[in-house]
Amino acid sequence: MTLLEFARGPGFQIALALLIVGILWRILGAVAIRFGKDFSKPRGGKQSIRGGLKAVLTYSAPPHELEKNIKFQHYTGYAWHIGLFVVIFLFGPHVFFFENILGFGWPHLPNAVVMVTGIITMAILVTLLVRRMIHPVLKVLNNADDYIAWTVTFLPLLTGTLAFYHLGARYETLLALHILSVELLMIYIPFSKLMHMFMVWPSRFRTGTDFSRRGVEA
Amino acid sequence: MNATTVETLETMRKKAKDAAEPRQLSDEERLERAKEAFLANLDSEMATHLESCIHCGMCAEACHYQTGTQDPRYTPIHKVEPLKRFYRREVDPLRAIRRLFTPKLTFQDLEAWKPLVYDGCSQCGRCSILCPMGIHIQQLIYVTRAGLAAAGLAPDELQGPADEQLRDNTLFGAGSEQLKEKVEELRGKGYDVPLDKDQADVLVLSTSHDFIGDSGTLEATVKVLNHTGVDWTIRSDAFESSNFGFLSGDEAAKKKISERIVNAAIDVGAKRVIISECGHAYPTLRWEAANLHQKALPFDVQSISEFLAAELEEGRLKVEKDDGGNRTWAYHDSCKMGRLGGAIEEPRAVLRAMGIEIKEMESHGRTNLCCGGGGGVILMESAQGLRRKAFTLKREDVDNTGATDVAVSCGGCRTTLETGKAETNWNINIHSLVEMVADRLAS
Repeated sequence: MTLLEFARGPGFQIALALLIVGILWRILGAVAIRFGKDFSKPRGGKQSIRGGLKAVLTYSAPPHELEKNIKFQHYTGYAWHIGLFVVIFLFGPHVFFFENILGFGWPHLPNAVVMVTGIITMAILVTLLVRRMIHPVLKVLNNADDYIAWTVTFLPLLTGTLAFYHLGARYETLLALHILSVELLMIYIPFSKLMHMFMVWPSRFRTGTDFSRRGVEA
Repeated sequence: MNATTVETLETMRKKAKDAAEPRQLSDEERLERAKEAFLANLDSEMATHLESCIHCGMCAEACHYQTGTQDPRYTPIHKVEPLKRFYRREVDPLRAIRRLFTPKLTFQDLEAWKPLVYDGCSQCGRCSILCPMGIHIQQLIYVTRAGLAAAGLAPDELQGPADEQLRDNTLFGAGSEQLKEKVEELRGKGYDVPLDKDQADVLVLSTSHDFIGDSGTLEATVKVLNHTGVDWTIRSDAFESSNFGFLSGDEAAKKKISERIVNAAIDVGAKRVIISECGHAYPTLRWEAANLHQKALPFDVQSISEFLAAELEEGRLKVEKDDGGNRTWAYHDSCKMGRLGGAIEEPRAVLRAMGIEIKEMESHGRTNLCCGGGGGVILMESAQGLRRKAFTLKREDVDNTGATDVAVSCGGCRTTLETGKAETNWNINIHSLVEMVADRLAS
């Protein structure tokens, strides 16, 4: 079995299984441990669930007076997440990959557009890594997970770009490394802060319902 | 100054410290008690929040202690580290793996976090509004406070009053006797004060601030209540709205102090409990008391600003409009009444009814900046440097409106603003909302 065959076959299956089991384990373990009941009377009898659902969206755009000092971080955060989305879901070969699994596909962007997006995304990630290393607040918060999560997110972008331009090794080898780096990311997600892609929604919802119950928009 | 003076603050600090009971426990016992308190508070909501942090550090910008000092240790989520560490090692679904990488929580850790959790947090909740992950950081910091309090690490200035409230049902030495004296003084001025009625529609809460300082808040409250004609009483055994169990994080004290009010309200058959101008008392009674009581309360809880707004709406309260002179008005939201309470529109409606248009600060309503002294910070001797730095941000926000006068509906905020005013020669007039209404009652 070649490296590429391993990456496309058992490697992918193992990574997918760990990803799914890990995500379910962590979500169930955290979200379903013990629910508290709130006996207080909601303000104006308002449905706090609606406030929670609203907060899922509104936390994406904090009020100006709070956001004004974090604009760089906020917008670069949006930019690289959007970049990553474009690269994963709107790159032709990726769409074909998903089509093979799901049975349906969707339109994709021209390769050149995706490549430029990927390179910009990597540049932002490098900038944010440097910022993480030197920013006084982040230096207080940083731990190993911050750097490992950065690395496993960056590697698929890097290996994918190298594979597309056939840089550094045979295409098959680069493609295998690219797929393996994605599998590394998949395996690491449940063990890391990358779980925020799932946890952010119940977290925003819970805080949103809590504030909404009190008559305050979160 | 009308609210508690700087000298009386010193007196209160001394009384608070003297009231603290010694807690003779070994470091191991303290650590275990902290862990028990953490565990008791860890429900799925807390776990969801603890699982969601991405270490972005944005919450730092919401915190007046961090921005006021530029000291990164005051980053809100960093204050939660002892709780996070406990969660990762003891509760996390991946704890078997996490333990390999997460250092053990020690008593020394708890001690090291005391200045961050108490001095450096007024429990204002602004970080909970900013966090892009929607983490309710204020709640997490409160739970961390609860752990430290269980370990006997709450500052004496907060634990002492909690102990005193439980032990003597007094606060800073003021209890039923002092209330009765105050009532007699008010009766001497011609006010009808229905003290200790068996039954009443409205139970009114006051606070010992009214007896320690030269505050006119209780007199104003009596005047307004009598004007509306509601059937009210104040109970000499359950009038104190402050809950130092909440401020210290002493959960057992919080519950007992809260239950004292709940049971008194049930005893008199109150339909409404009205809280005087005491910020932290509002969310404690309005949002937590029912949960501490473990069932829905048979009465409504209102802040005085909500009561005033409701009575204006019903037409029972009539006020005279004035143009506010040639003054420019601002309104300072108390974090506990506003962001954490929800009484944001009501005080503004009351001001409008009096003909007073306010200029909003840049941070107001749900994003208001704390006065710097909330959450008991104004009382803690060790926190005064931080409090002053946070106050400068508040002052700047007020000054940017061009305000000559600031209205406020929280005794604690008022004391902090008055203290900052005295310390910085701030040219501003600070007013209690209920006293403003009492001065403008239509005849």
